[in-house]
Amino acid sequence: MDRLQRTLYGVASIVVLLAVWYAGGVAFPEVLPGLLETAAALVVVLTTPGPYDNMFYFHVWKTIQMLFASLIVSMIAGTLLGIILGRSETLESTVSSWIYAWLAIPSLVIVFLSAIWIGFNAKSGYFAVPLVITPFIALNMWEGARTLDEDLTEMAEFFGAGRFQTFKDVVVPQLAPFLFASFRSGLSIGWKITLLVEAFLLTRGVGFMFRRYFDQYDLPTMMSWLIIFVVFLIVVEYGVLAPLHERVMEWRPDAEGVRVTE
Amino acid sequence: MTATEEETVHDDESALAEDQLELRDIVKRFEKPGQGEILVLDEVDLDVEKGSFVSLLGPSGCGKTTLMNVISGLVEPDAGTMRRGGRDVSPDDLSLGYIFQEPRLLNWKTVAGNIEFALEARDVPESEWDERIERYLEMVNLGDEGDNYPTRLSGGMKQRVAIARALATEPEIMLMDEPFSSLDEITARDLRQELLDIWNREEKTILFVTHDINEAVFLSDTVYMMNTEGKMFARRDIDIARPRQYDDPNIAEREAELYREFHEQVVE
Repeated sequence: MDRLQRTLYGVASIVVLLAVWYAGGVAFPEVLPGLLETAAALVVVLTTPGPYDNMFYFHVWKTIQMLFASLIVSMIAGTLLGIILGRSETLESTVSSWIYAWLAIPSLVIVFLSAIWIGFNAKSGYFAVPLVITPFIALNMWEGARTLDEDLTEMAEFFGAGRFQTFKDVVVPQLAPFLFASFRSGLSIGWKITLLVEAFLLTRGVGFMFRRYFDQYDLPTMMSWLIIFVVFLIVVEYGVLAPLHERVMEWRPDAEGVRVTE
Repeated sequence: MTATEEETVHDDESALAEDQLELRDIVKRFEKPGQGEILVLDEVDLDVEKGSFVSLLGPSGCGKTTLMNVISGLVEPDAGTMRRGGRDVSPDDLSLGYIFQEPRLLNWKTVAGNIEFALEARDVPESEWDERIERYLEMVNLGDEGDNYPTRLSGGMKQRVAIARALATEPEIMLMDEPFSSLDEITARDLRQELLDIWNREEKTILFVTHDINEAVFLSDTVYMMNTEGKMFARRDIDIARPRQYDDPNIAEREAELYREFHEQVVE
């Protein structure tokens, strides 16, 4: 499939979705807010200050702040934890069951506990969100660390590569696909937890807006906020992650523009 | 006459022995789960004369690679000495290049990038990189592939990159561990011929591990033979004039002799 064709299919799927939405809104107005109503609500959200006189980008920015700060912390902690688990059999046998126990704790419980321990403020969020996503990332990176090629490590050792050079040129590139997968799952899980925190504990951010308009039973405005953040996540994926991934994975034989010689 | 000068005179007298790498009584045991300790190298001796092509011949799993790794420093022997010119040497004192059975390239780096990796690891000044990369890629007939990725090369070409990478560090001794065993015979023959040309021209010393008797006879000045008990049981010189031809009856004859010796070893 070439680029034009793919774009056409993408546009077609959006048109179909909008059509179904429109029809659904007409058929079940109490369940699905009408397409036009939602569009009108979206315009209001985008142009007028909401509660506490804050514009929409203030709330989006606050949510992004918490989400990405948590992601950075979790990526570092989870990657280190995963690599340690993958490289040390002793730790693997002692710590691995704790990772599974950690994963089993419902995120809602973690959010509530943070509120009790830390209070109804943003600090709870900066505590709870990384706590929820770190084990997912650790699990992913653990898998990655187990697949590291010993032969390449030996080659690097023979030529006398130092720790830093080995890490940079031999280890990280092998972990790159796992880093991307971790970041993506961290992003999708983290955004849901950030929303929970904001809805239950805070008075700003996209999650707070959802709760506020839920309280007012304002379906079109809730829908507008959903659209705003989903669009943001799509932009992150197609605008940043996908091109970056393609660049980093350029060497793969199935990448576009392959030239096989001999 | 100062002490240094005396030393120089002495060195001149034993010039031949000076450059010869001598391994004596190398012992290595490995712990194998379930099997206890197994003896991989049983008091092995090995002489590698400067500029010669020496092969280590033996069946799979007989410790040939372990012996290579002892020389390269990747494996610490339990006992034994390594000497050159009457002095004990460690792997760090030797100038070595290693070509593994698999190319062991970094697939995410270009061909030139892979060579740079080795040059950086060996602390070769960055100003020399471009020149060396060009020279050694040219030498293995991959002059145009510097910017290509290894994943887009054939198996034979990848192994050529590995050879260029080892050559680029400009070692005196090249360690080669069954480098052609996973290639098809036609590609392998081309590469053997090219290797001999390089060896000749660059005056390298090559220590070559193989389980292929024909390959050992075709390539080597000297063949060391190992059995599965970790014993080096024979050293044979191959006195066939170079350049050699694959269909030379002398090669076939020598190959048959060496095979008989192996066979007797196994039967005993």
